[in-house]
Amino acid sequence: MPSPKAHPLEGEMLQGTLDLLILQTLVLGPAHGHTIAHVIEQRSEEVLQVEHGSLYPALHRLENRGWIASFWGTSENNRKARYYRLTAAGRKQLIEHTSRWDRLVRAVNRVLRTAEE
Amino acid sequence: MGWSRFFRRRHWDEERARELDAYLEIETDENLARGMSPEQARQAAHRKLGNSTVIREEIYQMNSVVFLETLWQDARYALRTLAKSRAFTLVVIASLALGIGANTAIFSLINAALLKMLPVRDPEQLLEFKNLSPVFGAYNGFAYTAFKEFRNRNRVFSGMLAFFNLDFNVTLEVSGQGGVARGQAVSGDYFPTLGVRTIIGRTIDLRDEKNANPVAVVTYNYWRKRFALDPGVVGKTVLINNSPFTIIGVTLPEFFGLQPGSPIDVSFPLTTYPRVVPGMALPGTQYDILTAPFRHWLSVMGRLQPGVTKDKAVANLQPVFRQAMRETAAGQAGMPFDSPALQQSYLSSKFRLDSGGQGLAALREKYSKPLWILMAITSLLLLVTCANIANLMLARANARQKEIAVRLTVGAGRLRLVRQFLTESVLLAACGGTFGLVAAFWACRSLLSLMSRAGALLSLSVQPDTNVLGFTLFISVFTALLFGLAPAWRAVRVSIESTRGHGGSASRSGLGKALIVLQIAVSLVLMIGAGLLVRSLENLRDFYPGFNKENVLLFSVIPDAIGYKGDQVIPVVKRLLDGIKRIPGVRAATFSFFSPLSAHGSTRPKIDGPVPQFVKATDSVAINEVGPDYFSTLQIPAISGRDFTDTDQARAPKVAIINETMAHHYFGDSSPIGRHLSVPDWNSDSSWRTIVGVRKDAKYRNLHESPAPMLYLPLFQSVEGAVTFEVRTAIDPDRVVRAILQAVKATESRLPVSDVKTLTEQIDQSLIQERLVASLSGLFGLLALILAAVGLYGLMTYAVNRRTGEIGIRMALGATRGQISGMVLRETVQLVLIGFGIGIPAAVAAARLIRSELYGLKSDDPITLIIATFTMACIAILATWLPAKRASRVEPMVALRTE
Repeated sequence: MPSPKAHPLEGEMLQGTLDLLILQTLVLGPAHGHTIAHVIEQRSEEVLQVEHGSLYPALHRLENRGWIASFWGTSENNRKARYYRLTAAGRKQLIEHTSRWDRLVRAVNRVLRTAEE
Repeated sequence: MGWSRFFRRRHWDEERARELDAYLEIETDENLARGMSPEQARQAAHRKLGNSTVIREEIYQMNSVVFLETLWQDARYALRTLAKSRAFTLVVIASLALGIGANTAIFSLINAALLKMLPVRDPEQLLEFKNLSPVFGAYNGFAYTAFKEFRNRNRVFSGMLAFFNLDFNVTLEVSGQGGVARGQAVSGDYFPTLGVRTIIGRTIDLRDEKNANPVAVVTYNYWRKRFALDPGVVGKTVLINNSPFTIIGVTLPEFFGLQPGSPIDVSFPLTTYPRVVPGMALPGTQYDILTAPFRHWLSVMGRLQPGVTKDKAVANLQPVFRQAMRETAAGQAGMPFDSPALQQSYLSSKFRLDSGGQGLAALREKYSKPLWILMAITSLLLLVTCANIANLMLARANARQKEIAVRLTVGAGRLRLVRQFLTESVLLAACGGTFGLVAAFWACRSLLSLMSRAGALLSLSVQPDTNVLGFTLFISVFTALLFGLAPAWRAVRVSIESTRGHGGSASRSGLGKALIVLQIAVSLVLMIGAGLLVRSLENLRDFYPGFNKENVLLFSVIPDAIGYKGDQVIPVVKRLLDGIKRIPGVRAATFSFFSPLSAHGSTRPKIDGPVPQFVKATDSVAINEVGPDYFSTLQIPAISGRDFTDTDQARAPKVAIINETMAHHYFGDSSPIGRHLSVPDWNSDSSWRTIVGVRKDAKYRNLHESPAPMLYLPLFQSVEGAVTFEVRTAIDPDRVVRAILQAVKATESRLPVSDVKTLTEQIDQSLIQERLVASLSGLFGLLALILAAVGLYGLMTYAVNRRTGEIGIRMALGATRGQISGMVLRETVQLVLIGFGIGIPAAVAAARLIRSELYGLKSDDPITLIIATFTMACIAILATWLPAKRASRVEPMVALRTE
């Protein structure tokens, strides 16, 4: 999906990145907010620290767009927790976002390498 | 974002709160597992999550239409703050209601008289036919023969109509009950083309026109007034000017004819016009109104076919118009009043189509100038009101500096704060506008009833429509911005400055002073304008109209109404006159066709013998038919010759009396006495009459007119029925009214008497428009003055309060109380002088625009200027008196201590 509004490039990239990471995490299966944050941090080898202040608004935004859906479930420790799962629309978005991310990374790399030479 | 989320955002908020709690529990569990103490575990979890309220707020906003949400907040907050300062709110709403109400009232009148479309189907498609002639101007109509030709050869209009709005009342008798009505003669396609339908019965159609069926359609209003909404009215036979007509239908309530301001009561086929007014229609003669091509009596309109341009329509009808004008010229050849100049004027007449969707233009032309003047005046009043409220808001914003500073400190956006202030302004304006709307309709109604009670035939529908509501909405929002924006912006800026020091106060009073100067200047403009209008009204009333207007009683009778016709009328009138003259207190009495200062006829006289070179056959003069002793009764001074007497009867030698201007125009320096003239186009009598007298000029129709040639004939035969009596009394005319009514009853018991009034009342009525404009502008000028005074008082009080400390120091250093109050007064004088510097030139410029409404004084009349300026100055000083006195009473020690 093309971005609906013209945000400043920086904000767009960061916000988009968190969305992408959340969607990717949910490919593995439904998870609650705590797990999502945990998984992202672990898989990035603690390079990416998820701000909880932005995690929940991001989850809400994605749900509003219909890319993820939520339900109340029971956590590993037998506590009530709100679980999120990927919807069909979300899966499509993930594929698009991933390829866009790849293009972006390649482009940035090309620029950086030219600069080194 | 879905609306369901918006409306369920509280529910969603609770969901999030639970989710975040769940997170905290899970994190705490994990921390416990890592070996922390329960207390530490919980605190660490909280630290990791951050401020959960901020997170919830962010999500909450995602669910709301932020603008609406904050708007609602602003509105609630504004309501709370306004409710807290009740006095301020009441003052603002009251003055806004006044300002907006005045504007809405005047706009409603403008809308009803000038802007509103006719209540017919697709009024914008209607075009009015214009016959522009070098001699008759734009007031020339079309002959019936021409209209029929237009209709036959038309290819551009989907419908056409012709009508004649009788500008006099017809008598309408219902089962023996006499009464009057405003009538119009219409073509058979009048109602179908307009798309006007009936509530009961049918409308007049083309068969009625063709066969001259004596049928009539009444308006809803007349049906209510005269027939009490009786559904049995259809089929009823009534007598219109004593000729029987059958009522066939009642039109829908909104229909009033095609002339806003002069609504009609009854319509009949134009081919029946000769039955209604035989004396005007002259059937069977060469002047027959239905066949003579030179009798241009009809107004014509057409409904343009979709897709046809106006130019194409003009091109299509141009040949027909030319032909009709050629026929007019040919048709009147050989008539007694024919002349080459008149022939030429017909042949060079022009044809034009004007938009007719708002009805005929007559009313628009008459009332547009005074109404626009009033609109300008009320707009200025609203400007003063806005300036005043802006000043109040400034003072209030100042008082709220602390609150604003706090809100800015805790992170409120500046624009958001401006919006908060504007919300308050809009709320105030909305309340003011609502009350203003109510006040306006009340005011409109009383204005109109005031005008119609005084005899002005003005009947307008001032129901609120989208135009008026839109206008009120617009000026309410506009005023809110006008008085709210500057103070709001200033308040926010000032608060930031004030956190750095006390720089704000000075600029506040700078803006306040500018507003006061504006108020003084605009009020002065209004005062001077009102002064000019009031003084010209006085000039008009005191003006000598050419006759003695004191102690004259007027009343009218319509002998037609009880069956007297033609020759029978004047004997009845003379019998009445004899009875009236015997009443004690009556010095003299006479009668006439047109009463003084109401109206007159118009005719093109033919003169026997040589006339000056500049006299043209097309020159027209005013004409009236009058009874014996007319001039001695009204005391119109003689120049030469005699008055009309009882011996000037139908069979006596024919005579005429002319006024000074007419004598000069037609006879130059030679004496007109004994010369001959005839007026065939007035009474179709081409025999010569001898001029037996010359009288001084007078005013005939209104006091504004310039001296005009006037011709008087003895009144033998009443054509239209109504005869006006003029009775000169030795005592107060009101005291003989009873005796006169009894005398009439004694002579003719069934004869109705109408329009009983004194001549001075008649003059006042002819000035109704001037008086209305003068008194309203006076009222508005006074309001502006009061508002300016209140504003000045407020500003000075504020200034004195702010400078209490300074004043204390001055007094401690030896300033006298007089010096202190002088200091305050000096500041006022400065502001007033600047205001005058702007206001006087502006007023002089504005007065030039209303020059045509002024009488007997120039637009820069020095007396008015001096009086208005002096009054304004006095009021300004008065408004400052109290604050100045308060300043002089400051106790130095108290003042210094409070500092």
